[in-house]
Amino acid sequence: MTPPPGSGETPGREAVPPGEDPNPQRGVSGPPSDVPTVALVGNPNVGKSSLFTALAGIPTRVGNYPGVTVERKVGRFTHGGRSLDLVDLPGVYGLVPRSPDEQVAVDALTGRLADMPAVACAVVVADATNLERNLYLASQVLGLGVPVVIALTQSDVAAAQGIAIDTFRLAERLGCPVIPVVAPARRGTEQLATQIVAAIGAPPPPAPRGLAEMEADAGTHHSPAAREAIARYAWIERQLDGVITRRTVPGTRFAERIDALLTHRVWGTLAFAATMLAMFSSIFWLAAPLMDLLEGAVGWVADLARHWLPDGPIESLVVDGVLAGVGSVVVFVPQIALLFAFVALLEGCGYMARAAFLMDRLLAGVGLSGRSFIPLRSSCACAIHGIMATRTIENPRDRLLTIMLAPLMSCSARLPVYLLFCGAFVPDRPVGLPWLRLPALVLVGLYGLGVAVAAALAWVLSRTVIGRSRQPFVMELPRWRWPRWDVVVGRVTEAAGSFLQNAGTLIVAVSVIIWALASSPHSDAAIDAEVAAERLELERRAGAAADPGPPAAELARLDTPAGAAAARRGAAQRQSFLGRAGRWIEPLVRPLGWDWRIGCAVLASFPAREVVLGTLGVIYNVGDEDPLAADGSLAARLRAATWDGTDRPVFTLPVALSIMVFFALCAQCASTLVVIGKETHSWIWPLVSFTSMTALAWVAAWITHALASRLVGG
Amino acid sequence: MGPLDQVSVGDSPRARAAMPLGSLDQVPIGDSTRVASLDGDDPTTCRLLELGLTPGVRVRVVRRAPLGDPLELELRGYRLSIRRTDARRVAVTAAPASPR
Repeated sequence: MTPPPGSGETPGREAVPPGEDPNPQRGVSGPPSDVPTVALVGNPNVGKSSLFTALAGIPTRVGNYPGVTVERKVGRFTHGGRSLDLVDLPGVYGLVPRSPDEQVAVDALTGRLADMPAVACAVVVADATNLERNLYLASQVLGLGVPVVIALTQSDVAAAQGIAIDTFRLAERLGCPVIPVVAPARRGTEQLATQIVAAIGAPPPPAPRGLAEMEADAGTHHSPAAREAIARYAWIERQLDGVITRRTVPGTRFAERIDALLTHRVWGTLAFAATMLAMFSSIFWLAAPLMDLLEGAVGWVADLARHWLPDGPIESLVVDGVLAGVGSVVVFVPQIALLFAFVALLEGCGYMARAAFLMDRLLAGVGLSGRSFIPLRSSCACAIHGIMATRTIENPRDRLLTIMLAPLMSCSARLPVYLLFCGAFVPDRPVGLPWLRLPALVLVGLYGLGVAVAAALAWVLSRTVIGRSRQPFVMELPRWRWPRWDVVVGRVTEAAGSFLQNAGTLIVAVSVIIWALASSPHSDAAIDAEVAAERLELERRAGAAADPGPPAAELARLDTPAGAAAARRGAAQRQSFLGRAGRWIEPLVRPLGWDWRIGCAVLASFPAREVVLGTLGVIYNVGDEDPLAADGSLAARLRAATWDGTDRPVFTLPVALSIMVFFALCAQCASTLVVIGKETHSWIWPLVSFTSMTALAWVAAWITHALASRLVGG
Repeated sequence: MGPLDQVSVGDSPRARAAMPLGSLDQVPIGDSTRVASLDGDDPTTCRLLELGLTPGVRVRVVRRAPLGDPLELELRGYRLSIRRTDARRVAVTAAPASPR
């Protein structure tokens, strides 16, 4: 099993002078370009991304390779007056194509990708702390007949671990430059760029010699794949003989002891729990003041806008559309920055791999690996954080599955919804134990529901759309080391920057669209008519009902200025496109026990779940009071709400339960859907996520309503 | 597949490699062993081979995760974690006591 064709002999290439297209006739290349393409290829987690950033800065283009969800990062840099296109190929262990990412790497290196020019130079990124295994891929790339430069990352860490590498000798043996780099500190990157420019157009290095003999030597009782691996590793051992020297450095035993402690059955589990607790509580506590500050700043700008802009649609667009959208974006930035600081610290010191090692067993049952634990746990704060944290999962299939499950974890935006309905409609009585009360039990049940449905969905998805993992779970456990602050800062700024840049623009756009649907058409005459009709209806009920108390109180509220304004806002929203859509979907929400107003509130909460509180408030004509205020005004109003033209209350226990179950499972969060789209570089996955979650939510809410009605009576 | 302690030390390396004596998931924690064979051309086998788990290589089983799975291995100067189901397909012999 030798790597794909093109090995060694490409006649006439030596004669191409620099400056001309060095690959005039190789394969099906894309549109001719005078800018040569340089590809970074290497094992997963060897520091390809930070080398990419060190060479080319922020990528000019991030997307997918055609037909597959494999990320493609393209950037451009100039060195010595020469422009070069840099492509980051997916991390692979070998060039025998078995998975989409391996296929992409092989096709790119052999010039068979339709929309990418043939590679003029392959930069093999190899981890100096683990050179033997990293050279396996290098041995395959060296056989492709492409100019090769080897970049040795982590060379400072290797030196600290007592690993000395004679790079000159290695370069001489391999026939290609070997450059030690420390990418985050930009050490060695200039030299690397110089060697890349020199390699373009130069003769490619010789293919590894003697592989065939070594394969024959391996013995016929092994399979061809095993013989190839034996031969390549034998070749590598020969190249490295006398090149690598290891000496024991002080601290090795200490690191060994830390390792034993942190993976210990009791202490390791405790340390893991403590780390997670510290990480996730600080994401809330440390970020809270910053979030308040940002919210305050957005509110201040909104006040300014209200002051300076004339009343009317423009003011509403700026304040309720754009600024509300911007506010919902920037408020996430402190939490994202903190989470990524933690992730970078844990990854930088080597704990991330240990955490995955500890948790793997738990997640293996649903077709995931330990790598998914932190992203899924982060999603309990907010799915956006969790989905962004999936960047640490190297296997694209596991990453996609984790992204699809993340929105099912009960995030903090669901909590206000749960609190409102649990507090207002679930009877507060002990269940078995005196301190265990029913609302708390329902709350725990809702969190559990999310986890259970996620597990079931993982089971289904890994047998249908996403497919089972065809690759075994393998993970390198790096040695303990100090995290680099520049890497941490880099990760944080990259995560926050890409969130603001990519997701931010779209989230604001979606918010503006929802605002437009909720605020137009706007006709004062129609609103006046509706408010008048409402007053008549209340008067009729106050006259007809045995107890005129509630309708009379409503009438009194309509006469206060706040009550009148709220009534007008409610009427306007009901008449908007969104309100009409709410009425239009009423047959759909009827089986859940909802009236059209709940349907409308749920529709309007598409930008974010917690919005439903405000929308319910507006639709049921509550004033501007805080919906969760101590006097429970929203709760009281909801209890008083009746079906149109009757005295039958809308909100009963079964209805409250069905709303909560719906919110536990639905995808009512535009930001999450936008981030899913951005992280998978595809609009299909957000669509799959939205439809599957909405369907699940509907079915579960329907079952809940039916069961609860039967048990307690609707 | 017999238990690991049936290894006869006097065999030639070739003969030892040809005689699998157990699988990697049965090796006691802390012990070293040598891969005897790892055959097949399925993705799992190929990946393990690429990672350096080739016939003849010396492997130490460092530890098992608290929940029993996966395993932590040391080979070719690095630490690798694989699951027990994947370790099961790696046939091993006992390794000589001296480190490579």
